[in-house]
Amino acid sequence: MTLKLQHITQQFQDGDDTLTVVENLDFEVNKGELVAIIGPSGCGKSTVLSIAGALQTPTSGDVFINGKNISNYPKNKLADVRLKNIGYIFQASNLVPFLMVKDQLKVVADLNNTWDEKRADELLEAVGMSHRKKQHIQHLSGGEKQRVAIARAFMNDPELILADEPTASLDASRSEEIVALIAHEVHTRNKAAVIVTHDESVLPYCDIIYEMQQGKLVKQKETSQ
Amino acid sequence: MFSLSIKEMTFFKLKYLLIGFILFFVAALVFIISGLANGLANDNASSMKELEVTNFYLAEDSENRLDRSQFTIEQAEKAKDASAFGVQMQTTEKGKDGKKIDSTFMTFENEKLLPTIIEGKMPQNANEVIVDKTMQEHGVKLGSVLYLPSVEKKVKVSAFTEHFTYSHTPVIVIQPALWEKVGFTYNALVSTSGTPAQSIDGDWSTKEDVVAQIPGYSAEQSSLNMMLSFLIIIAVFVLGAFFYIMTIQKVQQFGILKAIGAKSKSLIRATMLQVFILSITSITLAALFAYILPLFMPEGMPFVFEPTVILSYGAALFAVSLIGALISTISIVKADPIQAMGRVE
Ligand SMILES: Nc1ncnc2c1ncn2[C@@H]1O[C@H](COP(=O)(O)OP(=O)(O)OP(=O)(O)O)[C@@H](O)[C@H]1O
Ligand SMILES: [Mg+2]
Repeated sequence: MTLKLQHITQQFQDGDDTLTVVENLDFEVNKGELVAIIGPSGCGKSTVLSIAGALQTPTSGDVFINGKNISNYPKNKLADVRLKNIGYIFQASNLVPFLMVKDQLKVVADLNNTWDEKRADELLEAVGMSHRKKQHIQHLSGGEKQRVAIARAFMNDPELILADEPTASLDASRSEEIVALIAHEVHTRNKAAVIVTHDESVLPYCDIIYEMQQGKLVKQKETSQ
Repeated sequence: MFSLSIKEMTFFKLKYLLIGFILFFVAALVFIISGLANGLANDNASSMKELEVTNFYLAEDSENRLDRSQFTIEQAEKAKDASAFGVQMQTTEKGKDGKKIDSTFMTFENEKLLPTIIEGKMPQNANEVIVDKTMQEHGVKLGSVLYLPSVEKKVKVSAFTEHFTYSHTPVIVIQPALWEKVGFTYNALVSTSGTPAQSIDGDWSTKEDVVAQIPGYSAEQSSLNMMLSFLIIIAVFVLGAFFYIMTIQKVQQFGILKAIGAKSKSLIRATMLQVFILSITSITLAALFAYILPLFMPEGMPFVFEPTVILSYGAALFAVSLIGALISTISIVKADPIQAMGRVE
């Protein structure tokens, strides 16, 4: 099991009230599975994903990545988990502003001391960005940035890919292309992946669909391949 | 992380150049003022600095001031392991046209204390004198006749020396015979090492204490030193503010880098590396600038580039910018990877 969330509760302090966004949630994703999470705005999808992505520590409950409980890890160790085991694709691509396309991949590789130029070239080829390797990212369109972010997420060969509305800023045909790309990479490289989305057109590419309801994830549909 | 720091600096050239320039100008200003302080100190009292004397024996209650201390010829003769020294600030007139020149007369009983001659010959008799070469600016040449109006006496310039001024005036070195003949008194007994006990009333003072009491010396030095300390304080705030703004602006970026797995430690290292490169280059360039500056300054501008002083001020500025940067790294530690989700603005 690549990702396992166990009895996760997440509360936020809102003045005197406590807002419970996630309540006693259980969730699992296995190798080779591409899972979609849907649900209305504000229901807590991003919150769940950021907990799974070691960006945020839940109020209570345990997070297992590759079978290891990371709930009590110090910040430094969490950074290492993010670096080596998780590829996170943010809604806004969140590339490093001053680097050119190829260096976006080099950053994460350098942090991990594993720069493999051939792999970077392959990944950029796979997302169709190899012709713009030397370009600074401010010249790229939203969809192109998102493709670079996808390549970056795969760079350190993580077991788990998390994507938070990766297609939100794209038009319908572009967003399908991006999800198809993620699906292709996940299946060919045998990763576990979670995509949070509002976009119905994304769903056919996913193996399992969960809906967020009252702070829990409820399985909607499972398509067997 | 090294390449990341460099890439960021080359990408945001303007921003980093600007910070570098500010550092450069602050450092250059500090160096120039310290050079001026040095130059003025030299210009003011070079004669005393050149003098190979460690201690001055002054009359009681003279408060380290040479002009308040007086010894008669008879008292001076009682000196033990010390020699008589006289200094009088008096105007001189140049030859017959009577142009007045501010100057200082000095006499040394111990001939070893006489300044080094750079032009001309040692005086042969009591009517010949050695003068500082800045006298040349007033048209004085070897063989010129100077008139000392206060004692109605004429003397001939037989030699020039250099770096021999007192309270910004050129020194005229007179032989003791003439000094005594015109009725000047001695002002101190000087020792080339230590403070041998004397039979006449008085106290030993160090050379530094005596130099500090030369008219104008302390006032000049303390105002320049005040400027310097204010400059350093200003530098602390300016650089601190700049580095703070620089890191504050990048909090989002730090969040992204943390979200993709960077640790605070390596981000701090990358930032400090940038500050290190910026400070070293700017301060070195400023030191070079201060070094070549005298070539472009008008003749006679008192500016002395003292490598040890520049080095210590440079090190102080370097420390100031590193500390400023270190304080601003708090915002790096505080940067939250969750910022990469774009929720927090
Ligand atoms: N740090 C926080 N402090 C307070 N409230 C928060 C915080 N983070 C999230 N919330 C709240 O938690 C709820 C869930 O937020 P979340 O971003 O997970 O929703 P979402 O399902 O991703 O919505 P959307 O589809 O609009 O992105 C929201 O009501 C939000 O206001
Ligand atoms: Mg969201």
